[in-house]
Amino acid sequence: MNSSLLFLIPLLPLIGFIINGIGFRHVPKSLAGVIGSAASLGAFAISILAWNAFEGQPQVVKLFDWISIGQLTIPFAFQIDQLSLLMLMVVTGVGSLIHIYSMGYMHHDEGFGKFFAFLNLFLFFMLLLVMGSNYVIMFIGWEGVGLCSYLLIGFWNKVTNYNNAARKAFIMNRIGDLGFLLGIFMIIQTFGSVEYLEVFAKAANGSFSINDTVIVTITALLFVGAMGKSAQIPLYTWLPDAMAGPTPVSALIHAATMVTAGIYMVIRSNVLYSLAPATLGVVGGIGLLTAVVAASIGLYQNDIKKVLAYSTVSQLGYMFLALGVGAYTSAMFHVMTHAFFKALLFLGAGSVIHAMSDEQDIRNMGGLRKHLPVTFWTFFVATLAISGIFPLSGFFSKDEILAHVFEHNQIMWGIGLFTSMMTAFYMFRLLFVTFFGEFRGTHDQKHHLHESPATMTIPLIILAVLSAAGGLLNIPHVLGGGESLAHFMAPLFELSKQVNPDLFEGHLEHSTEYILMGVSVGAAVLSILFAYNLFMGKKVVPAADKDVTGFPKVLQNKYYVDEFYEAVFVNPMRKLSDLLYSFGEFLIDLVVNGTGRLVQFLSGRLRLLQTGETGFYVFAMVLGILVILAWNLLLK
Amino acid sequence: MNYLPSDYLPILIQLGLALAFIVGTMLVTHSIGPKRNSKLKDEAFECGIESQGDARTPISIKYFLVAILFVLFDVEVIFMYPWAVNFIKLGSDGFIEMILFMGLLLAGFYYIIRKGVLEWEK
Amino acid sequence: MLPIVLLSILGLVVLFLGFQKSKNLLLPATLLVLAIVLVANFLHWNDMPSLYFKNMLFENKFTMAFSGIVIFSAFLIVALTRGFVDDESAQPAEYYTLMLFSLVGAVMMIGFENLIMLFVGIEILSVSMFILTGSDKKNLRSNEAALKYFLMGAFATGIMLFGMALLYGATGSFNLTAIKGYVMANNAPSAMLYVGLLMLLIGMLFKVSAAPFHFWTPDVYDGAPTIFTTYMSTIVKTAGFAAIYRLLSGSFSGIYSFWWMTLAVITVLTLLAGNITAVYQTSFKRMMAYSSISHAGYLLLSLTALTNQSQSAIVFYSLAYSIATISAFGVLMLVAKETGVHSYENAERFEAFNGLGKKNPLLAFVLTVSMLSLAGIPLTAGFWGKFFVFSSAADRGLTWMLVIAILMSTVGIYYYFKAIIAAYMREGELSAIKVSPFYRLILIATTIITLVFGLMPDFLKGLV
Repeated sequence: MNSSLLFLIPLLPLIGFIINGIGFRHVPKSLAGVIGSAASLGAFAISILAWNAFEGQPQVVKLFDWISIGQLTIPFAFQIDQLSLLMLMVVTGVGSLIHIYSMGYMHHDEGFGKFFAFLNLFLFFMLLLVMGSNYVIMFIGWEGVGLCSYLLIGFWNKVTNYNNAARKAFIMNRIGDLGFLLGIFMIIQTFGSVEYLEVFAKAANGSFSINDTVIVTITALLFVGAMGKSAQIPLYTWLPDAMAGPTPVSALIHAATMVTAGIYMVIRSNVLYSLAPATLGVVGGIGLLTAVVAASIGLYQNDIKKVLAYSTVSQLGYMFLALGVGAYTSAMFHVMTHAFFKALLFLGAGSVIHAMSDEQDIRNMGGLRKHLPVTFWTFFVATLAISGIFPLSGFFSKDEILAHVFEHNQIMWGIGLFTSMMTAFYMFRLLFVTFFGEFRGTHDQKHHLHESPATMTIPLIILAVLSAAGGLLNIPHVLGGGESLAHFMAPLFELSKQVNPDLFEGHLEHSTEYILMGVSVGAAVLSILFAYNLFMGKKVVPAADKDVTGFPKVLQNKYYVDEFYEAVFVNPMRKLSDLLYSFGEFLIDLVVNGTGRLVQFLSGRLRLLQTGETGFYVFAMVLGILVILAWNLLLK
Repeated sequence: MNYLPSDYLPILIQLGLALAFIVGTMLVTHSIGPKRNSKLKDEAFECGIESQGDARTPISIKYFLVAILFVLFDVEVIFMYPWAVNFIKLGSDGFIEMILFMGLLLAGFYYIIRKGVLEWEK
Repeated sequence: MLPIVLLSILGLVVLFLGFQKSKNLLLPATLLVLAIVLVANFLHWNDMPSLYFKNMLFENKFTMAFSGIVIFSAFLIVALTRGFVDDESAQPAEYYTLMLFSLVGAVMMIGFENLIMLFVGIEILSVSMFILTGSDKKNLRSNEAALKYFLMGAFATGIMLFGMALLYGATGSFNLTAIKGYVMANNAPSAMLYVGLLMLLIGMLFKVSAAPFHFWTPDVYDGAPTIFTTYMSTIVKTAGFAAIYRLLSGSFSGIYSFWWMTLAVITVLTLLAGNITAVYQTSFKRMMAYSSISHAGYLLLSLTALTNQSQSAIVFYSLAYSIATISAFGVLMLVAKETGVHSYENAERFEAFNGLGKKNPLLAFVLTVSMLSLAGIPLTAGFWGKFFVFSSAADRGLTWMLVIAILMSTVGIYYYFKAIIAAYMREGELSAIKVSPFYRLILIATTIITLVFGLMPDFLKGLV
């Protein structure tokens, strides 16, 4: 394939953005959507070409010399290797589906053209992020997707809350970026280059020992950036708020692509991270903590999108957990399967919201299965997948992560397993409450219920197929598969293996693996049954938390068990959930917003210095001069 | 001859005494003097004539303009003296530079006249 | 040194053009002068560095680049003046001439080789600015600003002159190279040199509004007519930084260990004072005044580092900052004029931009790009400015300052985005503003420059 074609991949969405962005008042609605989707599909098509032409060696395609300061030269170049190809497929593939879906979903919106312009711009930056051949281009994309996320969260800008959510997301991301930027500067200082290939070659040439302070610092700083972008504790609270944006945005940006940028970055820098097991420990710890905390919060959310948002945070935690134990391939695998089923879940939720005339509270839904069959079945597939039921995609990726964690540390594995139980529980709670039982909405809503148009259902079906079959990519040996993804990605980690072989050692017995799989599927099934019992059997509607009569027999039979669950499991869990929720929403907000407040407060104080009196200004100046002179002449 | 810092001590003492005397006198007069205020006493004294209005009346800007222009052109003449003294030494270069200088000055003068700054009644 | 000569002579020509009945010729004439000077400035680009006027002035690529920036900025600003034709009490010829003359001062500051030239340059520039600040004669705030600026400026000049005198006393010369020779030859320079350097620096830091000598800035920038605020916040700053850079790198790099800590503390203070106080402002114009203080802080960061990257970093930063500031103020002037019809006190607040995006998409876009650039968001020139400045600091190993600077740039986003939010996300009754084609062209040009430099920061290097 002609390598100059590669530049078309990010260029097409940019062109789409320019057409829709500049002329969004003039481009007719029907055309705007087509242009946006065509740009995305075009990028996808070229990505496939690039995939086919790939020969196994990283290929750097330089466009021009971009910046040169001193000895440092930063070219504007793209790097095509296994990792960027995988990300390309996910970003453009899922991105295209979501573009098509948006044509239906945003049909009634007056900012239709603007929406597609932003979506294309996002795609452009995301592609820069994954294709760039150095950290600076990655940073440009990184900031760019943040900006687009800001624009799209605040897309319905009439509501002040949405704007605040947008600003919160942006500023929290910037805090993370602070770390990232510092990391880049340290890389420049240490390696004298920001090109991936050069940096990694220099890092692996033996001059750095394991846990070298410089490397640990660099990786820690980079991880701070990842924490912001991928919503890890303590910088995760922006993601649930970000659900204020239109649902396709939540699916594309806040589930499938942008939030996985942090994971991409760690995998990209795997050589550095392998050199710094200390940082990896922190990564894994934070990932695990985030996974548990977010999953437990998800248990008691009633907003359909909020449940999915916390679930996303939790799954991202999972991925970082995988990175923390050095299972880079597994993390990438989970990024991909997660992109499929989480995008599907969000789009399904969007379809529900669309049908319910913008209702998002699951307490007012119920029984939608009959009215929205396609949405229901696809949603069901995704729910099974995320819960890790064999043989859907989520089973393979999650199981692989858990297996690696088990090798590493059994306690962490236990917590991980517990998290996956919670995941299965709240996802099925969502499914049951939304799609089963009686309809609890208003009469008008009931009247209005309809299955979404084909532009929306077709992407759902495609994603459902992917969610179901995505696991085929990397079937483990133990199940007779070839671990094709692992083989494909292996060259990426050769340097890592060279610098820190210990990290990749350890192998599980086949029998252990079977047991682990059994345990995890069993645990998931158990919590599904529990959810079934609670929400189908007892017909509990989360709002009232009271028993609904109608199946008294079932109630009575299960009463003590339920009480037992209530006392031992649910209540403490709820307490914990509440506690963690308040911890998350208040304490962390306190710290983050508190910083903002502090700045505001200081600003108010400092402002008072500005009295407007020349006398005072001169006084301040004289004081300044005296201090400077005294300090320099007397104290030094 | 070398002076040590201690040799300056008498001066320091004298300085301190002088300051103390001034401050002391001011404080003492302030505290022991009687204070009687009356309207008549606080009034400004203007040769026995009743004072009228504010002393800070605006004066026509033209006074300042003329004054500042006088200073400006008067000061410029100062540059002529050293030039005249070194006339031969500076030679033709100096002459050209002086012409330039005078040219600029005259340009300013022309500007003033065209602006009508020197017209008193307008 | 052609620019100085040309500016002086052609400035006089413009002044006398003012005696013409019709004032319509003044704007094109001034623009023509600036265009000529801009070309003249780059005539000797490929020549070797050289000294002029009996070793008084110095010229190399660095000084030419800086002169180019100030002249180009002046061109853009003059283009935005619209001839002052709608204001009866205005004196356009005098304003233009003062701007041209002040550029003479700026060019002198940039290329000084002798401290006397530095002083003369600063004074020419400052005195012009005092007058222009007070040019809105009927506005009390403008008068107050001018007087304040003058008083404070005179004070700072005194300090600076004192510093120069002490330097002369210590080294026996006003010449930068001679001073450098003295500094290099003496391992332990006298206290007189130290005090002289500090005093001189303080005087110059005042001019670029570094904390704690920045207090005049908000009042003066706020009170002055917006067009001259633009002029002050771009040209005076740029020239001031060029002068400080030349002073420090030209003479005092040998005693870096002596002055760097002082400058570092001042830098941090400036960053904090500028960024944090800006958060509270309700007036866009006042916010821009504080933002100019904060940008002084970033530039000072690069000067504190004083590596061989610093030079190109401050050139790029000044250019990016100037262009973005000019387009932001350009939009403000249009909007303030429109809003001022309804409510005078709202004219320069953030609220003035409410609903700008609906009716005036171009202006809103221009404003957004300039805000993004000032905030340092990637793909704008401002990002690379910050990037270069930060990387020069990283090169010197000033990590703690870097952390503060990046944190403060996060604070910056908060207040710059206030303008963007007002423009796009708030409702307002702003109607479509009529923008003359030329004005529009200038705004589009500044925006394109910002974006082009954002995409290709090496563009400048590619040109030469």
